[in-house]
Amino acid sequence: MSVAQVASSGSSASESAAEPEFLEGSEAIARAMISAGCRFFAGYPMTPFTEVLEAMAKHLPAQGGSCVNAESELEAVGMAWGAAATGTPAATGSTGQGLSLMQESLAEITYARLPLVVLNMARAQGDYFQATRGGGHGDYRHIVLAPKDVTEAVYLVQEAFHLAAIWRNPVLVMGDYYIAHTWQSVSTARIDFGPEPDRSWALDGATGGTGKAKLISPIADTKRGDDVGYDLAEFYGRRGAELDVMGREVQPRAETGFLEGADLVVVAYGTVAQYVREAVANLRADGAKVGYIRPITLYPFPTEVLRNAASSAKAFAVYENNRGQMIEDVMLSVMERADVRFIGGLSVDSSGFGIAPDLDVTSVRARIQTTLEEIS
Amino acid sequence: MRREVVLTGIGGQGIQLSAQLMARSALASGLFVQVFGSYGGMMRGGNTEATVVVSDEPVVAPPTVERAWSGIVMHHDYSEATLARLRPDSFVVVDSTVFEGELPQDLRRVSRVPATALAIEVGRKQVACTVLLGAFAAITELVPLESLVGALPAALPAYRGKLTELNREALEVGFRAGSDIARRDAVDGASRVAVP
Repeated sequence: MSVAQVASSGSSASESAAEPEFLEGSEAIARAMISAGCRFFAGYPMTPFTEVLEAMAKHLPAQGGSCVNAESELEAVGMAWGAAATGTPAATGSTGQGLSLMQESLAEITYARLPLVVLNMARAQGDYFQATRGGGHGDYRHIVLAPKDVTEAVYLVQEAFHLAAIWRNPVLVMGDYYIAHTWQSVSTARIDFGPEPDRSWALDGATGGTGKAKLISPIADTKRGDDVGYDLAEFYGRRGAELDVMGREVQPRAETGFLEGADLVVVAYGTVAQYVREAVANLRADGAKVGYIRPITLYPFPTEVLRNAASSAKAFAVYENNRGQMIEDVMLSVMERADVRFIGGLSVDSSGFGIAPDLDVTSVRARIQTTLEEIS
Repeated sequence: MRREVVLTGIGGQGIQLSAQLMARSALASGLFVQVFGSYGGMMRGGNTEATVVVSDEPVVAPPTVERAWSGIVMHHDYSEATLARLRPDSFVVVDSTVFEGELPQDLRRVSRVPATALAIEVGRKQVACTVLLGAFAAITELVPLESLVGALPAALPAYRGKLTELNREALEVGFRAGSDIARRDAVDGASRVAVP
């Protein structure tokens, strides 16, 4: 790529080229969302989500979309909810802190059966429970995707729009400061994931009396015929069953490495997993019997992949940049088949943006090494 | 071939711009590049650092590296974690005008360039890191001067376009200072201090 090409391509995100461009992760994610068809985006600035919001504000209007810097996360998710109800591919996001404010709406949007993409440009990995269990009310689930780097984020963000459309459900994509601030050469061209169902459910402005009015609500999509109101038992039962099908049919995914003959399997997700992979590769080169599993879908969790590894491994070590959250899903997957230990821990610098001073291949390798000695 | 460069300084010195110039220059040479830029909330004076990985193969590396082939050191504040990534044989260029800290004792390839003083001579102290980048290019030969200059339009934000010429001059001044160091080093193998 010549300098002249970099200069000219750096100024416009119009139709994203298939040729890789040198982009910051936040910009690449924004362009990927637009390529995936996103035409409404709302958010409130908070590092490292701010960078995505800025890029969306820069590029989305030129594609006929709307990007709103809302007055808070509460308004942002409300706007995204409204846009999604009209059938417009929509997204919102924040850091985990901002998503805390959005939880009520995220629960209701799920019950209202609306496709929505939600970014958590997280500060460290303390939001695993928030992402996979949800902080809102009721019996709902979100599909949760966890890229390890910019290239994978560009892919998964686009797939998130597809999955949201297929399942009419929010899909959460977990990013972080590292992904937002890493520059790589990536293509953000549209990826075709196949046909999507029509959006005939979407509100089109038709009102009561026209015979074409539709109802989108977290408690019903139709009124009872006897005019007494809503049948919540029927609605919650039906919606819950749909969520069950989603949880069964969305293919869980994980990257694995060096599992052959591994006594110890290290489990990590997102950016952290890049450090784990390098540490494990180094240890393998030195003859250690260690492998790794990186869950890519946090919900549905790749239970089978872990269970299969547990048939030969003695122990699992979970590395998360938090005090231990995903370890619960690892334990539920492995059950009593192998020992499960936590080797991570929260590491953030004084900015609080999610930069982790402890996140270093040397340090990760030392913790794995210690665990290997303990189980031998 | 894989080269890791870590840059450290304080907000306003041009650390992120220098990382971008280096990256885009390497891209123009057909190399693969990954950059991770990290900085706090302050525009001026806060911590800022960058990790650049240049390779002749697609880069597969975490955003930060455990050991670096070279370092660009613009300020002592917040530099500890970055300095810890340097190894005895890493190339290190230091802005001797402002750096007042201690470098690790075992570093064998340290070049001290009065980058801020030279930048003031060029006309604006804010281009100090561009001066040091020019010196770095001459000493390490990682990227040619011409492609650094060529990368300026894409790396500078649009509203800084009028500073292209000043930065070009800064790169050239730094490159000359770095060339002097490299030449003297080739002769006596010892001196690595640029004369302002």
